[in-house]
Amino acid sequence: MIEFKNVCFRYETEDTIKNLNFHIEKGDFVAILGSNGAGKTTMSKLFNGILKPTSGDVVINGLNTKTTRTSMLAKHIGFLFQNPDRQICKNTIRDELMFSMECIGADNADAQKRVDTIIEKFGFDPSHDPFSLSRGERQKIALASIIVTEPDVLVLDEPTTGLDYAECMQILNIVSELNSRGTTVVMVTHDMELVLDFAKKVLVMTDGRMIAFDEMRKVMKNMEVLSEARLLPPQIADLALRFEGFDDVYTHEEMFQKIKEKVRV
Amino acid sequence: MKGFLDYKDGNSIFHKMNPLSKLFLAVVLCAMCFVSSNIYFVAGVIVINLLIAFAAGIHKMALSILSGLLKLSIVLFIVQVLFVRSGNALFTIPGLNLPITDDGVYFSLLFVLRLLATALPLAVMLSVTQMSDLANVMVSKLKIPYKYAFAVITVIRFIPVFASEMAGIIESQTARGVEFDTKNIFRKIGLIIPLCVPLLISSVKKIDSSAIAAELRGFNRRTSKSGYKKYPFGGNDIFAVLICAVVITAGIMI
Amino acid sequence: MIEFNNLKFMYSGGKKFALDGIDLTINDGEFIGVIGPSGAGKSTLTYAINGTVPHHYKGDFYGAVKVNGLDTVDNKPEKIAGEVGCVFQDIDAQMTATIVEDEILFGLENFGCPAEEIEERIDEALKALRIEKLRTRSIGTLSGGQKQKTAIAAMIALRPKILVLDEPTGELDPQSSREIFELLKELNKKYGMTIIVVEQKIMLQCEFADKLLVIDGGKAVHYDTVEKVLEHSEDLEKMGINCPRIVTLARMLHENGLYDGVYPAELDSAEKMVRSII
Repeated sequence: MIEFKNVCFRYETEDTIKNLNFHIEKGDFVAILGSNGAGKTTMSKLFNGILKPTSGDVVINGLNTKTTRTSMLAKHIGFLFQNPDRQICKNTIRDELMFSMECIGADNADAQKRVDTIIEKFGFDPSHDPFSLSRGERQKIALASIIVTEPDVLVLDEPTTGLDYAECMQILNIVSELNSRGTTVVMVTHDMELVLDFAKKVLVMTDGRMIAFDEMRKVMKNMEVLSEARLLPPQIADLALRFEGFDDVYTHEEMFQKIKEKVRV
Repeated sequence: MKGFLDYKDGNSIFHKMNPLSKLFLAVVLCAMCFVSSNIYFVAGVIVINLLIAFAAGIHKMALSILSGLLKLSIVLFIVQVLFVRSGNALFTIPGLNLPITDDGVYFSLLFVLRLLATALPLAVMLSVTQMSDLANVMVSKLKIPYKYAFAVITVIRFIPVFASEMAGIIESQTARGVEFDTKNIFRKIGLIIPLCVPLLISSVKKIDSSAIAAELRGFNRRTSKSGYKKYPFGGNDIFAVLICAVVITAGIMI
Repeated sequence: MIEFNNLKFMYSGGKKFALDGIDLTINDGEFIGVIGPSGAGKSTLTYAINGTVPHHYKGDFYGAVKVNGLDTVDNKPEKIAGEVGCVFQDIDAQMTATIVEDEILFGLENFGCPAEEIEERIDEALKALRIEKLRTRSIGTLSGGQKQKTAIAAMIALRPKILVLDEPTGELDPQSSREIFELLKELNKKYGMTIIVVEQKIMLQCEFADKLLVIDGGKAVHYDTVEKVLEHSEDLEKMGINCPRIVTLARMLHENGLYDGVYPAELDSAEKMVRSII
């Protein structure tokens, strides 16, 4: 599905991305973690060819990003940026969504139908002016205008910046539902609680290198990896690390069950 | 364009010079290219510019400006050469009956050299001068109201901010399938125009918060005496005067 | 001290009050964490403190705000600015200079700080934020965290009694966000500076703030010590505020009769809580 083969990328003189090798399967939900400057955003842009590798290859659905134009990759891979204002450029929500369909060259009748379905699904007023809405609403419009084209892969670059918790959950619940129906999701984020709630796998970056790529839970308490990447475990996992015999505790529900067991004993 | 007009840190004599001397030097270099009509002199000014750039460690930028202007220069040269009819014909373009004259070549060459020679000084000087220093010295020595100086600084400070905003917008749009990666330049321009909407919106927001931030930091309380940094003239500035003197003399003599 | 006296404010052209009857006092030396869902009025509250509401953002203004005795309607923002330092969301927009040192100098010059004191103030501000090494760096080359520290240093140099920050760590990673909060706590403890910080990162707010101010629909729904406010965690979640997971855990323990102590605001107290049970 997604293949990084010996991928290096340099902006000026030094490699920002150093020899990445990994493979993401269809239907995965991968969180990319790392501190600022670790190369996460650069890496995310390599997925859809906004940046082309300096050496090595990125292959999406059999298409090499080096030889395929980014605008052509849009059919296969949707990209949600941190800032929805860079994406929204039409005066109504409906036009914005239709524009996405035009961009991938969809035929009109089918496009209309898909746009209508998405508008209904998100509960939008199609004639609303996106710029008069809140940041959270605009992020939802940006997401809608990406998933309306039904891409196989969805890349999200810190999609929850500037949103409150409720808005953040709305976005991620939609993404999660798409994932359960087979869309591959790659999400760059800082938020360990979100990773715990949604991701299946975790890829940890530091200094342009990949230092871990594994099942989510295997990484979330691996202090060696996390501290090298300047990250903290999710709160309850962190708390569990302070107790003997709490190895399998990551969430508050699990912690609660564990405490109940201990009290009974 | 990346890094154009950005301050390049350094310790050269040109970095240490008074901003006014640098400005003066730049203006003299530009002006003399128009005072003199001697090709060798104008070419000499370009060389002086490059020497200054080398001394200040910003030759890479200077050379990139020159190479950037080269294409334009060639086009301008050809157009000019074809239009000047006076002077002795050197040869005639067969079929078109267009004579190429010695005057034509001379004036076209002069024109192009002037373009190159005048493009460099300001760019070079601005690269070795902190914008705030330039503004401060204009306020304290030239008595320009601070508000104007601040406006100029703000515009220059915002250029890279907006450039990166625009780059971000183009990335966002390309990612959703807008063909910015097309090779057709006209198509590309057509695609960029609608994007001015998001750029405008973010710009207005930024400028508004910028104004509030400056106001809250006492911008309106500022007077002409508020400047803390002093800009005395010193030994380095004599050097600037010296260069100016040499260039002016040479320009008039040749 | 900041006194809000039944403050109501509606932006001109707005349909409802952005602030709807704020009536509370923030005492000197307190560290207040302001939380609330998007559009609750958190940013407007910061504007009301520094006087940009109603001087810059016009609208219907009722009630009163007094900052160290200065009424924000009668006094212009630049006068209030002597008491309150503000750091805004858009970090690039609020910078005025091209190098760090000049950024700090800008406010000092404007407020007419005596020349002989300026060096000392710049040194002090850089030291308080531990960015002495950045002094002559170009702002364009700084990381987000370094820019944020520069913006705070520029405020500290003016020695305001109150520091207001609107989402200062919005775009920073967890480690840098934490550093900013640690520095704020230090300023709070060392200089007795009142800190008011609007921030979505609830875990940091709970750990570092003395009090939480919960804003929803323009109203101050809760304003109390962190532990007390956390007792209403269910209420907060309904508003769309996520509580730290240790608080959700404490609530489950409460509901099941396993724990009846205070709600933990950070990991150490959470550890104590769990140890007291098992």
